[in-house]
Amino acid sequence: MQFQNKIKDNEIIVFADTSLYSKDSIFKCLYWYGDKFHANLSFADSNTYRVSVKPISTTQLSSDELENLLLKLERDLVDFNLRDIVTKETQNVRDLLIAKAFSNGEFDELPPGEVSDPVGFNPNLS
Amino acid sequence: MEANKVDRKSRKFKDFETFDLKESTQYFLLPFRFHRVTAEKEIIVNEVGDYLILPNGTFEKIVKRQINKEIDAELYGDLIANFFISEQAIPPLIDVLATRYRTKKLFLNYFTGLHIFVISLRCEHTCHYCQVSRVTQNRDLYDMSIANIDKGIDIMFKSPNSHVTMEFQGGEALLAFDNIKYAVEKAEKIAIELGKGLTKVICTNLAIVTEEILEYCKEHKILISTSLDGPQYVHDKNRHKPHASSYELAVKGIELSRKILGHDQVSALMTTTKLSLDYPIEIVDEYFNLGFQGIFLRNISPYGFALRTDKSKYETDKFLTFYKKALDRILDYNFKGHYFTEDLARIFLTKILTPFNVGFVDLQSPAGLINGVIVFNYDGAVYATDESRMLAEQKDFTFKLGTLDDTYNDLFFGKKAQEISQIWANEGLTGCSECAFQQYCGADPVHNHATQGDMYGYRPTSDFCQKNMEIIRYLIELMESDVRIKKIFERWAKTATH
Repeated sequence: MQFQNKIKDNEIIVFADTSLYSKDSIFKCLYWYGDKFHANLSFADSNTYRVSVKPISTTQLSSDELENLLLKLERDLVDFNLRDIVTKETQNVRDLLIAKAFSNGEFDELPPGEVSDPVGFNPNLS
Repeated sequence: MEANKVDRKSRKFKDFETFDLKESTQYFLLPFRFHRVTAEKEIIVNEVGDYLILPNGTFEKIVKRQINKEIDAELYGDLIANFFISEQAIPPLIDVLATRYRTKKLFLNYFTGLHIFVISLRCEHTCHYCQVSRVTQNRDLYDMSIANIDKGIDIMFKSPNSHVTMEFQGGEALLAFDNIKYAVEKAEKIAIELGKGLTKVICTNLAIVTEEILEYCKEHKILISTSLDGPQYVHDKNRHKPHASSYELAVKGIELSRKILGHDQVSALMTTTKLSLDYPIEIVDEYFNLGFQGIFLRNISPYGFALRTDKSKYETDKFLTFYKKALDRILDYNFKGHYFTEDLARIFLTKILTPFNVGFVDLQSPAGLINGVIVFNYDGAVYATDESRMLAEQKDFTFKLGTLDDTYNDLFFGKKAQEISQIWANEGLTGCSECAFQQYCGADPVHNHATQGDMYGYRPTSDFCQKNMEIIRYLIELMESDVRIKKIFERWAKTATH
């Protein structure tokens, strides 16, 4: 593999395939690192994102802490990419749902199937 | 034939096979969000707040279409039944889901209900964290004028809400009791004429309450909301009253109010200060021993004078530790058979466990400001929330909507209201838009502005986000860990919706 995730000079560097990870999901992920880290997204090459985070404070993190941070960033990138897939795939249904919820019935449809009356509540129905 | 006909008349549901779209081998995702609850468990929450707790890794499998209808039949069924996935691109029961969504946002139907009248800024206490009050006898400067009371009442009854609440706050509201009487009687008359419901509340420390005042409250069905920070050594340090014990006066006042008005007509609110953080058990015990059916563990508001004193600064982590210890104590009482609630938990649990929402101003989306509450200040200014007027005392008028001389439309739908409305729904905020707890939480532009300098807010450093995320996660963890706690929580949520 050309690019290996690594820790270098107190900086965590993770690579992500542009065909697998959306840019939106990476930004959404890095948003949550902004309170304690300098976060950066760039291209390692035309098919690979280079994602990096570096502690804002000048204090050095221990190697264990950096290792945990690397794991966390890798996992968060996956989580946010999955969230992004759901958001984008379901955008139309969500819009429809909310339009229906706030409509005055103009988008309502009869439920599918036939209404049966096995217990005989309504004598007009067979 | 006749016998067969009788057999058909059964209340049994149709076989599972009837609803099984056999030809379907692929499923479609519906909108939902996910969060890791513990090291082993994750939660997925759909658009109307229904949730499933699943082993870690399940969310990924769902998204990657690795849930098999035959092999994972139970999970597959749960995902279908709870609107996480669908076998058709548009789920056949989308109208049911839309109705559920509408129910969750039902509070929008009513518009502004709570109208706070800051009837006087004068107070006889000198609490170190007090945000607004003035120790003064100058009624002209710090009491709401009759003219402003009239205008406030006029605006209140322009609300489309069929039931409005008029809440008198201070300072110490009872210092202007004559003005309260005027306002109550005028509002009652108009409410009858318009056929609207009217609830009246006085927020008071009860230090100067008398039998005569309470008899009036009884006659006019006025509720009392008071402050009690815990046992005497906490309360008196938080709420300083020159030459007297605020605690003794509050407890005496609560007893007298209950005697005259009835036990359930008096409620108490606590404010957590740095000092309170050391006494979670004692504070809960105080409320229990005084016969309250619950306690609202509130963190101190970050407004006005509150942040200017080092005494009141503390970190959210410390509050969360305090909260969890206090909640454990509350659960102990419930394990022993008592009904005793924690009200912040109850608000979250109602959102988590029932189809309904809670009209709690701080935890709504769209936010409760303007939509649920409005504040008429003693000087005629109109603010979006109680906290907004506290900011104004620091010369920050960001959330001033206008004055009582403005029209209803200018106040509620004017430029300022429109500006705030851009960022008052957490569905559209960065960090909130894909949060699993979005439906349980809310947006609070005033808090964002006060603590972070802009209305939009920055979630990674937001104490509002940190506190709510952790409390919701903790409540879910508790329910998952102990079936007794789940039953207690279900009871709290159930009673909240009645």
